[in-house]
This record gives sequence, C-alpha cells and structure tokens, in this order.
Amino acid sequence: MSMAQQHGLWSSPMLRWVAAGMVVVNGFFPAVWILFTSLKPEVELVQKPITWWPHAPTLDNYVRAFTDQPLLTYLKNSLWVATGATLLSLVVSAFAAYAIARLNLKHRQIILTCIVASSMFPLVTLLVPIFETMRALGWLNSYAALIFPYVVLNMPVCTLVLVSFFQSIPKDLENAAMIDGCTRMGALWRVVVPLSAPGVFTAGILAFVNSWDEFLLALSLNSSPAVRTLPVGIALYQGEFTFPWPIISAALIVSIVPIALLIAAFQERVVGGLTQGGLKG
Amino acid sequence: MLSKLRDPSEKTLAMMLLAPAFALLLAIVVYPIGKLVYNSLFAIDKGGAFLGLQNYVDVWHDPLFWNATQNTLLITLITVPGALLAGLALALLANLPFKRKWPVRLSLLLPWALPLSFAGLIFAWFFHTEYGVVNDVLMRLGLQNEPVSWLLQPRWAFAAICLTIIWKTASFMALILLAGLQMIPRSLYEAAEVDGANLWQQFWQITIPMLMPSIIVALIFRTITALQTFDIPYTMTKGGPGEATETLAMLIHKYTIDYSDLSFGSTLAVFMFVISLGVTGFYLNHIGKNAT
Amino acid sequence: MQKRHVLKFTALALAAGLSAGAAWAQQTTLRVFVGPNQRPDLQQKLFQEYNKANPNVKVEIETGGATSELQRQYLSTVLNAKDSAIDLFLIDIVNPAQYSSKGWIEPLDKYVGGPAVLRTDYLPVYQQSNVIDGKVYAMPSQGDAMFMYYRKDLLAKYGVAEPKTWDELAAAAKKITSGEGNANLQGLSIQGAPIEGAVCTFLLPYWGQGKQFNDAGGKLTLDKAAAVKGLNAWLSMVDQGVIKKNVAEVKTPDTVNEFKAGQVVFAINWGFAYDRFKDDADSKVKGQVGVMPLPAMTGGKSATCMGGWQWAMNAYSTRKDEAGKLIKFLSSKQASAFVAKEGSILPVFQSVYGDAEVNKVVPWFKDALPVVLAAQSRPMVNDYGQVSDIIRTTTSAILARTKTPEAGVDEIAARVGRLMR
Repeated sequence: MSMAQQHGLWSSPMLRWVAAGMVVVNGFFPAVWILFTSLKPEVELVQKPITWWPHAPTLDNYVRAFTDQPLLTYLKNSLWVATGATLLSLVVSAFAAYAIARLNLKHRQIILTCIVASSMFPLVTLLVPIFETMRALGWLNSYAALIFPYVVLNMPVCTLVLVSFFQSIPKDLENAAMIDGCTRMGALWRVVVPLSAPGVFTAGILAFVNSWDEFLLALSLNSSPAVRTLPVGIALYQGEFTFPWPIISAALIVSIVPIALLIAAFQERVVGGLTQGGLKG
Repeated sequence: MLSKLRDPSEKTLAMMLLAPAFALLLAIVVYPIGKLVYNSLFAIDKGGAFLGLQNYVDVWHDPLFWNATQNTLLITLITVPGALLAGLALALLANLPFKRKWPVRLSLLLPWALPLSFAGLIFAWFFHTEYGVVNDVLMRLGLQNEPVSWLLQPRWAFAAICLTIIWKTASFMALILLAGLQMIPRSLYEAAEVDGANLWQQFWQITIPMLMPSIIVALIFRTITALQTFDIPYTMTKGGPGEATETLAMLIHKYTIDYSDLSFGSTLAVFMFVISLGVTGFYLNHIGKNAT
Repeated sequence: MQKRHVLKFTALALAAGLSAGAAWAQQTTLRVFVGPNQRPDLQQKLFQEYNKANPNVKVEIETGGATSELQRQYLSTVLNAKDSAIDLFLIDIVNPAQYSSKGWIEPLDKYVGGPAVLRTDYLPVYQQSNVIDGKVYAMPSQGDAMFMYYRKDLLAKYGVAEPKTWDELAAAAKKITSGEGNANLQGLSIQGAPIEGAVCTFLLPYWGQGKQFNDAGGKLTLDKAAAVKGLNAWLSMVDQGVIKKNVAEVKTPDTVNEFKAGQVVFAINWGFAYDRFKDDADSKVKGQVGVMPLPAMTGGKSATCMGGWQWAMNAYSTRKDEAGKLIKFLSSKQASAFVAKEGSILPVFQSVYGDAEVNKVVPWFKDALPVVLAAQSRPMVNDYGQVSDIIRTTTSAILARTKTPEAGVDEIAARVGRLMR
C-alpha cells in the first residue's frame, strides 16, 4: 500500500468517497440491474417509461429458473470443472513459469511465444479437431473433456502472469534456501510461490473465471444435461423466439454468486499485504 | 538416477517442468492448429482438391475482410489503451486505505465475472432506443428530448461497443495491475518521501517502472483478446448496421459456423494469427529478455 | 427327484437367459436431437408410443441449442467431425439444402418413399423445401408460418374491415392510432433486426407482388425494381408513423411482448405467438386477437413465409434402418394430429387443419389453413447460410436507413447472384 497515496490529493475523505462511489456504481450497476430484472415479470420490461425497481417484486423467476432446468446440476458441474481446471492450470503453469523465469534456457523466448501463441487462434476454428480428439479418447460428456482444454486455454495467461511475478522475486532468497539444504523444487514451493502469492491468486482467479464462463467448448463437448455447465444452461432458457430476461437474470444471479463469494474471500490474498515482510528494499 | 531426480541438473529440471505444459499443448491444440492450416490449403468442403494459396489470395481481395480487419484494429487501438487507463485508475483506487475494502474490490472484479455474451446482451439492452437505461437517464437529466437509437447508427454503435468492452476488460487489467501494485515494497516510497519526491514523481518514478512487467502482461493479453473481439459486437449489433461493427472474429465465425465453409474460415484464422503475432510479437520479446 | 428339479431349473434358466440375451442383443437405441423449444416433452410421448409398438427400439432425446443459431453451432461441430452418435435431428425448414450439400443428411427415399409422398396431403410448400435433386431429404414434423395478428376489439371499435392490401392496412392503422391517441400504440410491428426473420421481412412484400426470388433450379431471379418497391413500402410506413422508427432493433420476442402488452394494432409473427397472446398470465389482449392472411401489395397476391421443423437423418448414423422407420412414424398424420392437439403446433398435413378433434382444442387452425397454403419457402440453396446473412444484414441496414433500398438491393443482387447461379 503506497504511503504516498495517503497524502495530498487523497487525504480528503470526501474525494475518496466520491471516487469509491464511482468505482462501486461502475462495477455493481449491471449486476444490480440484473438483480432487479430477476424480480420482475416479463411484461413489465416493455413498459414505457422503463421501471427500475420492480413494481411488485416476485421470486417466481427464481423458482422457474430452478424448475425449468436442473440449474443446481449445472452449478455443481461448473464448480467441479472450474475448480479442477484452476488447480491443474496453476500447477502446470507454475512449473512452466519457473522454468522460464529462473532456469537458464537457451530458447526461453521461443518457448514463451509458443505458449502464448496457442491463444492467438480463434477457438471456433479449433473446435472440430478438439471434438474429434475428445471423442477418440472417449471423454465426450465428462469433466475431463473440459478440464484439459481449459488448462490449455488458461495456460498463456497464467504462465505469463507467474513468469512476471517470479521474475520480481530476488534470486538471493532462493539461493539462501538452497544453501540451507533445499532442492530447487523445494525452493520453488517454499520460497518463490508463497512470495508471489498475489500473482498465484491472481492467476488462480483468472483461470477460475475463464473456466466458469467458457461457452463454446462446453456447448460442443458436454452436451448431455448431466454434465452441462452453467453458461450453456443459461443460454437454454431462451427460445427460438423468446428471450425471458427475468428468468435468465435469475439464473445469471445464481451463476454470479459463487464467483462473487470467491472473489470476496480471496481479494485479501490477491490484494493484501502478504508480501510486506518478505521483501527488503 | 534417484539422486538426479532429487536434485537434477538445470537442463533436466527444465525439461521436467515444461513437459506437462507442452504435453497438453501437443494433445489439445497442435493437431487442431495443424488441421486448420491444412484446411486453408485444401477445398475440404468441395471435393478436397489442393488449392495452394488460392484461399489466401481470395481473402486478400475480399472487401469484407478488410472491413472486418479495419474494425478489429480500430477496436484494439481504442480499447487496449482505454482498458489500461481505466484499469490502472481502478487498481490505484482499490489500493487505497478504505476501512472496508471488499465493496470496492468486489465492484472491481464483478464486471469481469459476468459471462461475456451476457455482458453484451445487457449493454445492448442499456443502449436500446426504448427500453434502455442510457436514454432513460439522459432524458430524465434533460440532456435530450428524444430517445436516440444508439445501436442503429454506425459511429455510435461502434462507440457503444468500445465502451462496453472497456467496461468489461478494465477489471481484468485492474486485477493484474493490483497484484503488481502489491509487490511494490513500501520502503521504496518511504525512501522517496525522505528524498523529497512529491506524489506525481513517486508515481512516475516508482509505481510505473515497478509495475511495468504487470502492465506488459496485461497489455499482451488485452491485445490478443481485442484482436479476437467477438461476443460483444455479436450480441450487441450482430455486426450491424450493415457491416459497420463486424470484426474479424465475427467474419471467421460466420464462415465456419453459418456458412460451414471451413476452408475459407481457416484461412481467415491464419490471417488473424499472423496479425496477432505481429502486434504482440515485440511485447513478448521484451518479457523474455527481462528474465533475471 | 432333486436332480430332475435342478435340471429343469437349469434348463429354464438357460432358456430365459438366452432369450433375454437375444432380446437384449436386438435392442436398438436411437438418439434424437431436439431443441428445447420444439416440445421435447411431446416428442417424448411420441417415442413412448413408438416403443410400445416396437419394443426393441428405445429412443433417447438429446436436447441442445435453444435457438436455430446455437443448434447450428453444435451440429456444425458434431457433423463436421462426422459423428455417428445422433441418428435423427429436428432441423429448421431452411436447412435441408445446406446440410445435404455437405453430405450430413441421408436421402430418405427408401424409408418413406420418393418425392411423391410429399404430394399426398402434406402442405404443398414441402415439395419445394424438402426435395433436393429429386430426393427427399427431410420429413415435415412441425409447421409454422408468419401470420398477421390484429386487435379484433380495436378494428371493431373503429369499424375497420380486415385490410387486404398494405395500403389499406396503413390507412386502418393510422385511423386507429390517431383515434386512440396513445403515443405508445404502434400501428404495425415487424422484425427489422438482422435475424433470420428479416429474410422474411424482405421477401414478404416482394412475394406479395407475385414475384419469385429464384427459379426451380436455384438460380436467382430477383426483380430489383420490385424488391426496391417492397422495401420502400416498409420505409413509407415508418415515415407515416405506422411502423416505429427503430424497427431495425425489433426482434421476434419484442413484437410478441409489445402486442401482448396491448401496444400494437397489427403484428406479423410466427404461429407460436397466438397461444402466448391467448394464454400467458400477463397477456392484456386475451380474447381480442384475430388472425388473417398477410395483405398483398396492390395488384399482387397474399404470400407468407413458411417456417417449422423437419426430421432429417444423420448420414453418419449406424442405425439407419431403424431410424428410417422412426422417421416414417414421426412424420405421419397421427403424429401431426397429436402434436397439434397437445401442443397447438401447426399441422403439416392439410386435412388435420379441419380435423374435428383438433379444432375442438385449437379452433383458430381453421383460419390458419388458407395462410399456410399460401406459404412459400425461402430459397433452398446450398449456400443458404450465406444468402440468408446477406439478405438479413442488408435489409436491416436499409430499415436502419444506413443504406438506401436501391444500393441495398444492388448489393443483394450482386452477392447473392454469385452464390445462386
């Protein structure tokens, strides 16, 4: 936390509150709008002038969201897939990032470029071959069909974030640990990772939200309702000619709540001062 | 052998560490990318004849390709710096000493948590002529008398799309920058204070340089994603009016899914890859070089 | 004594095991792809009935892709990967030509009979939409068309008769809206957003002049002047305040919701809308909805767009014989009457419209028949995906006034002309 920011401009609490207010409105507004919409009946949405707070708030949409489709199943599937993908992404990316950031590799640039380059192709053009691969492995309609591709999808971001964080940890600390008898791998897990905790949690949240919201692969590979994930499920409330915003809003709220909780729980870790003690000026 | 595993040489260790990542890349994307290039060289839907570079020539001469590329590059030029600035501002704000930190931080990250396609639909609704919040607020404030059809005018539709993208991605940027801010040791600022540096100087001489690695990472991914912009214009305007807001990724989606012309779609994808590599190439070089 | 019992028991057990094994070995499971909005619950009942008559065939439903778009997304991936997991799919009426050109669907002649079968009692439009290169590629399941809905109460109040031409409709709408003095009341609601329905928005006034878009061979026969005239008819209605200015934002659900809320006098929409107007709890127009054929352009004839869903067989299926028998059942008159009664789904057989039992449940089908008989098929060409995209994007741009009708029609003629030669 920057001491400088406590002085001068920002010492005025009024200004800080205004700024905070703007940030909060910016972030919360659409979510709150969706929340209000989830409490309205559909016909209220075409009234003019438009209404903000629902005239007669109703929980019908939530009931329908859960009964029209097995929303809880979708929630469960999304949790399993996203958690699995996140953990695996972190491990794989941490290994790769350490190799790139710390070890004396001749082709470091090319390796990094290869990893990042995989994200430069639009997923829609890679769909059919990925489908064929999953079919050949017999993994269609299973968690594995999504977890492994998601790790690949998250790999570029996670690796790059971790590389930049690992690079900023001074080598002396690791050297100190190794002199004390640690192996390199031990140094990785006991020194580097804890010190780059904000980076690790950042990469983790990035991986989790990306996996949670992914649509295209989930639609194509896991089409069976038993393993369907939330984004695909939410898209199914609409009809060829209908778009029930209230019900979809209810489902969206259900989908956002776990992420919001996750973020609220981990934002301390991402933002907060775990690093205060470990680094010397 | 065992001793080698416990404390392997650097080269072996490097290979072991990179193995899982590359194994996955090989299994999941190398075959698809190979197939993609193959598809672009053969008329796979109409007999399988070898086309050589015919597809590539056709793309080069297609005015819709240039229109889409132009739109994509424009979106990238606007939303990448836009998201960076907004993200930086949000990150600095979130870093401030509030008593209760979680509302600001949660509101920082919430936009990004909303699924992309629904963000597009929601903002399309906000900008709707009759049922949109934007017109409602502007008219209530007396800034306009008549509802404006934002999404039916090429320039305004483009602006609305860029705004939505910046709104959505500023939080992604803020997340990465925030973590970077946390890694800056407080002692640096303390020392600068002692030396008499003011707020502005501290920002430019400490914060920005220390944040540079994070900024570059954030920029790389924002750029790659910006070049692949699809969901937001697709859900807000479907590329309309006409093709005013059609991006390269939308064109690829059209050819691949709607027209089921995998050959041409794959060719467009190769073009997109080349453009992406070209634009982000020198950033990547920078990161690689910076290794300690 | 015990030995004989044991032997008898063993023999019985063996026989039971063998016959069960034989029966199990013969059991086929067919997998069928149905969108969640094509009433999978009704299809499920049909499958159960089929299972009773054919006990060794089990039918499983796979639901995916809520919209034509998402379905196309999913099927495109699966079929490009030549997947054999699904045997039958329920596809949009505009898809057979495109799918067959990719080799994704199987000709059905040997399972249901040749094109002649579509001339018996089925709606005439299917002879255009389901027959490609002289072979039947899809069998009709659910019918649909674009109807003109109107507020019976408002027309009665102002003594206006059902308009037969667009000019009459515009005049009627103006009379009613000025009489009601409600700024929120729209005269006519049509879909101008770049959705599939916009293709119909383009074709309706064009067909209404008696013009054809393509010949039987799939070649483009666009009468540019007539197309411009048709589009100008819409634009002039916008200028007269009959159609709202932001029509290029209007999608199918918008028209339905606004009509339901009592904000529209005339509305063009698909058949499903009737039940929404009649039955939805929040509908303010119950009992006040009339249905009529679309007006013609002056001097032309009434025409409408045919929609609906068809059964097609996966060319990569490994159970084609059984699938073929299932298709025959699902596209039979009994199946059509069943879904008509249970789900108010427009029948694909002409005689079912007048069927007494069906009319007890859905009396408005009697009014629907003349509309459906006049329905035309959108161009059945291999590149329909691209043709549709060009027409709908350009039409929407014209309605948003970012392109003139002349420039737009020229563009359509040039680009679609290259595809439909």
